Amino acid sequence: MLRDVFNSIGGFESYGLISMIIFVAFFAMLILHTISLKKKDVETFGRMPLDDSSKESDKNQDS
Amino acid sequence: MENQTFYYDNKIVKNFAYATLFWGVIGMVVGLLLALQFIWPALTFGIPYTTFGRIRPIHTNAVIFAFVGNGMFTGIYYSLQRLCKARMFNDLLSKINFWGWQLIIVFAALSFAFGMTTGKEYAELEWPIDILVAVIWIVFGWNMIGTIIKRRTQHIYVAIWFYIATFVTIAVLHVTNSLAIPVSLFKSYPIYAGVQDALVQWWYGHNAVAFFLTTPFLGLMYYFLPKAANRPIFSYRLSIVHFWALIFLYIWAGPHHLLYSALPNWAQSLGVVFSVMLIAPSWGGMVNGLLTLRGAWDRVREDPVLKFMVVAVTAYGMSTFEGPMMSTKTVNAISHFTDWTIGHAHIGALGWNGFLTFAVLYYLIPRIFQTKLFSVKIANLHFWIATLGIIFYAVPLYWGAITQASMWKEFTADGFLKYPNFLETVTQLKPMYAARAIGGAMYIVGIVLGVYNLILTIKAGKFLPDEAASAPALAKAEGKRGSGEGVHRWLERRPVQFTILALIAVLIGGIIEIVPLYLIKTNIPTIASVKPYTPLELQGRDIYVREGCYTCHSQQVRPFRSETERYGEYAKAGEYVYDHPFQWGSKRNGPDLSREGVVGGRQYRPNSWHYNHMENPQRLNEQSIMPVYKWLITDDLDISTTAKKIRVMQTLGVPYPEGFDKIANDDLMAQARGIADDLKSQGINVAPTKEIIAMIAYLQRLGKDVHAAGMPTAAVTAK
Repeated sequence: MLRDVFNSIGGFESYGLISMIIFVAFFAMLILHTISLKKKDVETFGRMPLDDSSKESDKNQDS
Repeated sequence: MENQTFYYDNKIVKNFAYATLFWGVIGMVVGLLLALQFIWPALTFGIPYTTFGRIRPIHTNAVIFAFVGNGMFTGIYYSLQRLCKARMFNDLLSKINFWGWQLIIVFAALSFAFGMTTGKEYAELEWPIDILVAVIWIVFGWNMIGTIIKRRTQHIYVAIWFYIATFVTIAVLHVTNSLAIPVSLFKSYPIYAGVQDALVQWWYGHNAVAFFLTTPFLGLMYYFLPKAANRPIFSYRLSIVHFWALIFLYIWAGPHHLLYSALPNWAQSLGVVFSVMLIAPSWGGMVNGLLTLRGAWDRVREDPVLKFMVVAVTAYGMSTFEGPMMSTKTVNAISHFTDWTIGHAHIGALGWNGFLTFAVLYYLIPRIFQTKLFSVKIANLHFWIATLGIIFYAVPLYWGAITQASMWKEFTADGFLKYPNFLETVTQLKPMYAARAIGGAMYIVGIVLGVYNLILTIKAGKFLPDEAASAPALAKAEGKRGSGEGVHRWLERRPVQFTILALIAVLIGGIIEIVPLYLIKTNIPTIASVKPYTPLELQGRDIYVREGCYTCHSQQVRPFRSETERYGEYAKAGEYVYDHPFQWGSKRNGPDLSREGVVGGRQYRPNSWHYNHMENPQRLNEQSIMPVYKWLITDDLDISTTAKKIRVMQTLGVPYPEGFDKIANDDLMAQARGIADDLKSQGINVAPTKEIIAMIAYLQRLGKDVHAAGMPTAAVTAK
């Protein structure tokens, strides 16, 4: 059935346009989401690599 | 919440780090040998195992999957445990991942040297090794997802998102592109043919760059750069946009490897549009990395780890600007098939992957060995020699590429090609090839210094196999979204749902590009005169694939006057419908061969010329850089596989008559005797059972069907 559906579709060149619209919509939602994040949360997440709960291997390092 | 003590597994990190250093040296020394073969073709030593076509895949696979792959695992196993505040899910799975990966690398190197290859770039492994790759990759993913699930942090840090995308996408790409029907333990034919095979292959090939060489290293950047600079990432918000935009866009860009080919125009256009859009997320990531160093640039002067990271991220920015530019049709018309592509790939591999890998190693090896780096001076020396090495490597190749492309396209005032002999354009490049080899050698000297420095660091330290850490246990989170919790915040603590969404994001592009090419028949107009290969030609084609001829010769004439004048009729989709695998190639170290068999055509050579050329190319022209193929003259053709090959081709839809497999070898010998008789008439005595006969048969077939159709347009019909 799927094959028949695809065979009967014309103008599949528009797939690219449709995909770009999907992407732009997705991108816009993502931007809105990141803007809406709480500053405190963002700062906490950004600092995650700096806290690995072990200082054992860092003790010989200068920083 | 109760504080729990646990231990990070540093043993697996150490093992992968050692493997990274070992394979890095091996892979790049093989690369240097290849570079030297451009200057002295005799460095193939006249034996099959060291010819360019066989060791080029060893070099590319060793650097990509052995050096960069082990470097990726080193960084992931180190950072994942620390970001999740948990030991790896299962130590046994870690060991299977490590030893399985090393076994794959050894099998790959041996199989390529012995000519066992699928003939698809960066996916040359034959089916048993492909299965092993899939199994080991699942082990890695199982271990990784298991670790994420048992983590002691609520939020999943952005580096881990990149690791998840790497796992799911590489799994999809590898399985899809490797689908093949075995002929024997060491030989298979891909289920795709011609244009479809080309699209699937470059969808894979481009996204292997994206999801093996880029996304995991972006994850490493997001962990190790803040660690080394001791400051958080510049913008966590930007990292979220960077991640989703990058994985969604990257998957579409594969067709830019096939511009001006027989691939339908709509697919080429999609590849161009999405490639250009890729600049945005790529540079977003680069800016995020570099701006993390705001206020810490003074430390870059002192700290070799940061030095390597800065050049790595800058190289990422350069290559992700250059890549989209090369994807536009205007630039691609010049850059494609030239050394520009090689220069571009090496800015990425040596600069981005190589430098970030060494930054990670310089960061973590002193830590897991509880000591300081043995010598900052040697690390700095490594940095400067390798940086200069990259410049000496890439600049001559860019220069050579523009030189060669210009020579290919130059016409005389009378309208003839100014350089009709392809070899003239190669000879012109030899000084650039010498400079490239010097640049590559400098990079290797840098690596040797790095390895020496790290060995002395290891000797001076004491290994910490299990590193103690403590963190509160993670409170069991509700599956449903909490009040005020956004969808993405919820996703960021749900690894399985996150993985599924990432998979959907990458599948969209792949499905929209690939499925129509299969289901809409007008995409591949058939040509009535195109017939399946004869059994002898099929065997010859398999030798062509075995010897890696596609690494130097294309089979795809682009629709430019400079190409049709040089080679003949431009490529049509319908002429490749029986090519399992396609052999379009991506680089012309020698001329295109797709019109080689057109009698009276511009590229036509008699059988005797091919025989003499394979036996000793330099005897025909001392400037030739083609390796000798003497063993084709002495080795017998293995005809025990002919019937099976015909049956597999029939299964794949190639219209050989029913029962043809039973008489295939009779047909083969009849054609072989004809060629042997022709050679005899030219004073060359060779038995019809030798491999050279099959190779000549295949080369003399190329382009004949299209020519017979009276191209350009008369016989092209849609089904």
